[in-house]
Amino acid sequence: MALAKPTVEEIKTRAARYPSRQSAIIPALWAVQHEQGYVTKESMGEIAQILGLPPSLIEATASFYSMFLARPEGRHDVVICVNAPCMLRGADEMAAYLGQQLGVRDGETTTDGAITWHSTIECLGACGGAPMMQVDHHFEENLTPERIDSIIERLRTEPAPHGPKPEKAAAVARPRAKRTQN
Amino acid sequence: MGLKPVLTKDFHTENLEQLSVYERTGGYAGFKKALEMQPDELVELVKKSGLRGRGGAGFPTGNKWSFLPKGVYPRYLVCNADESEPGCFKDRYLIEKSPHQVLEGILIASYAIGCNLAFIYIRGEYLPQHEALESAIEEARQAGYLGKNVLGKGYEIDVILHRGAGAYICGEETALLTSLEGYRGEPRLKPPFPAIKGLYGKPTVVNNVETVANLPHIVINGADWFGAMGTPTGKGTRVWCMSGHVNRPGNYELENGTPIRELIEEHGGGVWKNRKLKAFQPGGASMMVLLPEHLDVGLDFDAIQKAGSLAGAGAMVVMDETTCMVDAARRYVKFFHHESCGKCTPCREGTFWMSNLFDRFEAGEAKATDVDLLLDIGYSIDGRSFCPLGDASTWFPRSVIKFFRDEFLEHVSEKGCPFKKMAQEAVA
Amino acid sequence: MATVQTDQVTLTIDGQSVTVPKGTLILDAAKAINIDIPIFCSHPKMAPVAVCRMCLVEVEKMPKLQPACAVYVAEGMVVKTTTEQVAKYQKGVLEFLLINHPLDCPICDKGGECPLQDQTFQYGPGASRFEFQKAHFDKGVPLSDKIVLDRERCILCWRCTRFSEEISGERELALIQRGVHTIIGTFNDEPAQSNYQGNWTEICPVGALTSRQYRFVSRPWDLDRTASVCPGCSMGCNIQLDARSNKIGRFQSRENLAVDDGWLCDTGRYSFPNFQRLTQDRPQIRRDGRLERVTYDEVIAFTADALKASGQLAGWVSPAASNEELFLFQRLFREVLASPNLDHRSAVLEDAEPDDMTLPIADIEHCDQVVVLGGQDVIDAAPVLHLRLFKSQRKGVNVLKVGAADVKKALDAVPAEAQGVGILATEANKKAAVELQGKLQKKVKGSVRRLIVTTGPNGRGAKDLGILPHRGPGYVSLNGKSGKGRVEWPGAGVKALYVHESSPLHGFVPTDAESMWLSALPLVVFHRFKPSPLDEVAHVIIPGHAFTEKDGTVTSMEGRVQRIRKGIDAAWVREDWRVFQEIANHLGADWEYESVEAITGDLVRALPPYRAVNEGARVLWSESR
Repeated sequence: MALAKPTVEEIKTRAARYPSRQSAIIPALWAVQHEQGYVTKESMGEIAQILGLPPSLIEATASFYSMFLARPEGRHDVVICVNAPCMLRGADEMAAYLGQQLGVRDGETTTDGAITWHSTIECLGACGGAPMMQVDHHFEENLTPERIDSIIERLRTEPAPHGPKPEKAAAVARPRAKRTQN
Repeated sequence: MGLKPVLTKDFHTENLEQLSVYERTGGYAGFKKALEMQPDELVELVKKSGLRGRGGAGFPTGNKWSFLPKGVYPRYLVCNADESEPGCFKDRYLIEKSPHQVLEGILIASYAIGCNLAFIYIRGEYLPQHEALESAIEEARQAGYLGKNVLGKGYEIDVILHRGAGAYICGEETALLTSLEGYRGEPRLKPPFPAIKGLYGKPTVVNNVETVANLPHIVINGADWFGAMGTPTGKGTRVWCMSGHVNRPGNYELENGTPIRELIEEHGGGVWKNRKLKAFQPGGASMMVLLPEHLDVGLDFDAIQKAGSLAGAGAMVVMDETTCMVDAARRYVKFFHHESCGKCTPCREGTFWMSNLFDRFEAGEAKATDVDLLLDIGYSIDGRSFCPLGDASTWFPRSVIKFFRDEFLEHVSEKGCPFKKMAQEAVA
Repeated sequence: MATVQTDQVTLTIDGQSVTVPKGTLILDAAKAINIDIPIFCSHPKMAPVAVCRMCLVEVEKMPKLQPACAVYVAEGMVVKTTTEQVAKYQKGVLEFLLINHPLDCPICDKGGECPLQDQTFQYGPGASRFEFQKAHFDKGVPLSDKIVLDRERCILCWRCTRFSEEISGERELALIQRGVHTIIGTFNDEPAQSNYQGNWTEICPVGALTSRQYRFVSRPWDLDRTASVCPGCSMGCNIQLDARSNKIGRFQSRENLAVDDGWLCDTGRYSFPNFQRLTQDRPQIRRDGRLERVTYDEVIAFTADALKASGQLAGWVSPAASNEELFLFQRLFREVLASPNLDHRSAVLEDAEPDDMTLPIADIEHCDQVVVLGGQDVIDAAPVLHLRLFKSQRKGVNVLKVGAADVKKALDAVPAEAQGVGILATEANKKAAVELQGKLQKKVKGSVRRLIVTTGPNGRGAKDLGILPHRGPGYVSLNGKSGKGRVEWPGAGVKALYVHESSPLHGFVPTDAESMWLSALPLVVFHRFKPSPLDEVAHVIIPGHAFTEKDGTVTSMEGRVQRIRKGIDAAWVREDWRVFQEIANHLGADWEYESVEAITGDLVRALPPYRAVNEGARVLWSESR
């Protein structure tokens, strides 16, 4: 699937801003993932062409960072932290509950294609609101089974935050993400 | 000592993220004042203030600036907003609540070091915070704080917001620069230090979010005002991220030197569920565990180091009596294993091995000799790794073995986690 | 590595004092006093990365162990490489490396020449304490048609990826994934295209990257190793010819800093199957349309008589023959058969002259401007030149690749203040190179030198020794006694042709017109290493030695005279030079060469600049003229 014109334009614009076009690799990968939901080798090849860099370099970089997806996932991305500070406040129980409610295992996508969830050991920066998860990179903190239920219910029907338009996720109607307390 | 809101002073103000509101609280006055000064004066001011980097290492900020070689341009400022240390969430808070304060600090630092292009490297997971900074940069540009001729003073500055994509290692400053250059976020050999050869091979300063957020206040109130706060070697305040088994987790800005006891018992409301304190960990996942006997240690780089741990990036993870220390260490080790970039042998293979061993303890299949094996592995990682990530992966587990060796042995003798069993029995 | 600073630094390593230039790494300072610090990632041609951590040593006043491969010496430094701490740690790092390294040494091609194996033996732990599943990766990944990759054996030393970035600049190999899951590979697992892949296998400190041609061929201790020169092209790269049971197993590099800088191209490295002797053929003579087997003595007598009786003769000798063969071949033709029709070329090319090699290969690095006239054609003709050019570029040399027709473009591009300009071109584009050189000499301040890439591993030798219709040995004029060149032969009444080719890579490939002419020729003598299509038209077939089967010397494009040595014994085949001598003697000459060395000696007497052979140096014609 060839990249959409706005994506190509965005990559070029970003590349022009940096003192070195190589710096635009990560922004370019973001732009591609934003458009297509994940990053194929084919897209990496396209990025290489646009930036005039060897394609091996794009794959080397893309595969290093955990947030670039190699294959399509559900419309919504739910990540629940189980590192120690979250574990102390019951993250394991919440993760188990989430998996049970979604009916699929860690790392899998619900049968309706709405949600891919996984637990992570990578701290997401909300230990003060633990247990927590990120839904499409927005914070959901102080989780309880009831809150998880209502989030799942919302996601089942909500469209994906990304799409062919590279505009911000905010273009999609969504309740404002809860912020950290204090 | 005690609560001392400086950075967080106006955080109760509605819509502080908006430029007009931020300006009403005195925002950008620091930058305007800085522009009236000579860059060298600013460097001296910050040196005199005693401000130390808030990212973890605690290096004096003014000194870091003055290491830039004279006459070599361009030079870059990079604001490290790649906060990823488990237990830390202060940079996120500072950005979310007042993105302009962070931006103002970046502008002051840039002007001081003679940089015309600054970068903010923000971790990929902080999307809303990315958006907040993006809006702030745009507003500031419209208002003339950024551009070819800032406020008509002839100073040029632009700020590029760069989003990471999931790699803890990029919080290490050389890995951050490598990542910003588009490569895999692998740390670089030092020397050369970034001040000499940093981003794109040019002199570069990397400053943490909280560090730069201090700058507007230092410029406005002066070095003496700043130096009057805190301890002789730890001036000012710090935002402490408290999490774990306390009644009121969250961020608390305290004057340096405030006793840990005050943070946990007073501000955090004490250990939750009326349980007893077992241990706590300042600094984040990397740092060594401390015990209730250390509660009267002051929150200060040097005092915490003297007590046997490190203040790091200002986290305070509190653990009550029901905590399985082996499991806590297991999570951290798994984290380091997951985040090891793979560049050097000890960290890549050592964290993999330790992670396997900890899983074996958890599964009740460990042997008593595995405890010493862990220490041996730690010996071959700590101080041998390419960068501090590897070293740090061993600190918490080794400190836990030091203070809680019995818990490891109980996992062996009881063929599983004694705390899980207790919890299950309590439910039954 | 050369350093510009002359300041010396004195330090102590394991109690021994050593003085080295400032800017020396601890590792190299130790090496200077024979203290061996174990390494995996460090490589003398690549920037230090200090990733394997094998070389950590104690340095007084430094709290942590320091990587000897990345820390530079300082005055008064005290280094300790054998303390208890260092030894314990070395065991630790080897134990780490072996966690995820398979214990398949018995079936690994690297076994016996594997740094990991050797160092584990010397410094490693007795047994592993790792009791878990190793991380599993793909084994036997076909990285290209030349290389196979075993990802489990890889210890992530980064040498191959750094080669791809720093040495060849192709950036084809990269690190993919991270942490313990890191692997090396090409983009999207596409087959690697590089012409320098064989080098990856040599720098790999384990058996992760191995040559497909060498898979399961031999153990290093079973190899007979012979120092020689690559037969691939005129670059003159030094090789180690590794044979097992009198069969070539592989070509390995043998570093000559002035020539190859330690590298080979795949075209040359993997050309060895062409030199593999498959059949034991015998001399043959065509009688009644059929080739009949005869003895060497018979074929020599027959050939000598037939040549003598043929009238107008021509002789073609391949640019892969040794100088000694060339010397005798031209003596046979000029002195004994009185025929001036000699050639080693495929087409009429510009006149050859010593000025074609005024720019030595290693001096490319010291030019400030290099024009590669003909671009990729030049690289294809001598692929290892690319590595030298890329190295030069990294050092700041401006390398300009232009088409052979772009003399003007090149002239405009080279600035007048250039201090040293080099021009590289193939023989086919010599005229343009000379033109450009002339114009640049008028334009720029500094010197302008050229290097013409000759065809064949000894094309330069063939020119030097006068295997040309119009030049004798040493480029002497023939005073009106010039003969005809190869392209003229079909129209010049030539009745007999003697073709000598020892390399299938640089053989006599007839054009269509030549084929017609050959098939009608009364006498075709074909003296060659192995059966070829030309056998069809030959009246006489004389088996000869392959490049890899003989001793002698060859002269590279830059005029460097280097020895080739017999790596394969084909004793039943009579030496090519001996055949020439016997033909000559059959016709009344009294040559008495007993050995190749005797011919070399005679050659040097006849052509004094060739005394360079004694040092493997370049022939300096200007001194003798």
